[in-house]
Amino acid sequence: MKQAIRALGWAIYVLWFVVIVFTASAVYSAFQLRPEFGDPNMSTLDDTLILHLPLNITNGGFYDISNFHIATSVTDSNGTLIANSSSPPQLIPSRSNVSVTHNISISISQMIGNLSYLLQNDSVFNVNATLSLNYANVIPFEISTNLTLPWGAPLSNLTWGQYSLTPSGVALPVSFENHSPIDLDGFMRLEIFDNNNNAVGEGTTIINASPYSGYGTTVNVHVSGIPANIREAHLSFETSAFNYGPLVIPLA
Amino acid sequence: MLPRIVKATIKALLYFILLYVLPMFFISQLSEFAPELFARYVQIFNLFVAVVLFSVVASELTSGTIFQHAFNIGKAIILMLFFVLALNGGIMGLDFEMEGFSVHILADLRVYLAMLLAIDLLGLAKSVLQAVNFLSERTEKQLPTPKPS
Repeated sequence: MKQAIRALGWAIYVLWFVVIVFTASAVYSAFQLRPEFGDPNMSTLDDTLILHLPLNITNGGFYDISNFHIATSVTDSNGTLIANSSSPPQLIPSRSNVSVTHNISISISQMIGNLSYLLQNDSVFNVNATLSLNYANVIPFEISTNLTLPWGAPLSNLTWGQYSLTPSGVALPVSFENHSPIDLDGFMRLEIFDNNNNAVGEGTTIINASPYSGYGTTVNVHVSGIPANIREAHLSFETSAFNYGPLVIPLA
Repeated sequence: MLPRIVKATIKALLYFILLYVLPMFFISQLSEFAPELFARYVQIFNLFVAVVLFSVVASELTSGTIFQHAFNIGKAIILMLFFVLALNGGIMGLDFEMEGFSVHILADLRVYLAMLLAIDLLGLAKSVLQAVNFLSERTEKQLPTPKPS
């Protein structure tokens, strides 16, 4: 029995030694981690707005970091999901430097399907970011935070002035401010309807609104029949990023 | 009794330096980087040291009796409960503010907790065996020595 007691005693000493060494080295290694966040930047691809979040991690510790990945979910101020993004798991070996860029892709055409108000109204998006990692292959960590992201509407302050009758039809001044980083290229279409709800004229105007700039134009429409009988106009947008409309403008 | 008290005092002093003075020195150094992280655990750490010191002194004062082993068994059980409570069952969460953002950290320390519990289980087994050994040796001493026929 005495041998068994002695063996247990040695086993306890060895295990304590392992635990203490592991704890001390793990804490030391954790303080050797140097995460550096780069400046976030935006880019557009077709109808998708991509937010790039660069992150550089210097792991100066003794232990590898495995399964390192970032997941984000973007919701509007009412909690409606706009985008879900997740970066692939990465390994950050000890004494190495790894650069990761997490991309949040927001498809404008998908977004306006159920959140069309965001085209005309500036808002604030809530971003829930979760960073998961497996430290030293033993301790899983999860770090989460909430951020806010300002959203600039591409058709902010969309207004139309008083229409005027021209010899050939109708002229309607339209203006808006592009508060978004999207370069708005496309067409603005105006359809005129008479009192019998018949389409009596249609006109299109090329729009080219640079990011963060105002835009104003007058849409001229040739109207068949008597211009005095017109009742309403339907305004719609067809751009490379989204199609929006028609917005009904009463003219009578 | 006096040698036991002296021995217990010296042992307690050594344990105090090893378990309290040195770790607290390192914690105070690390606290400069993340004060919120360590402030919460200083109280738990003090309790851990108090439990260990009490059991060391009690075990030393009652050495040579069955109470010594009873204290060791009690210490192992208390430390197991202590580790489970201190590590919150192995899943630990921490909330703090960093550069205006509220950050939540969740650590899964179940493997680490299992290592600590394994050590305590071994300590418990050792103390039980020591108690059994102590009782059997005492019983053997009380038995009449057989006379040569």
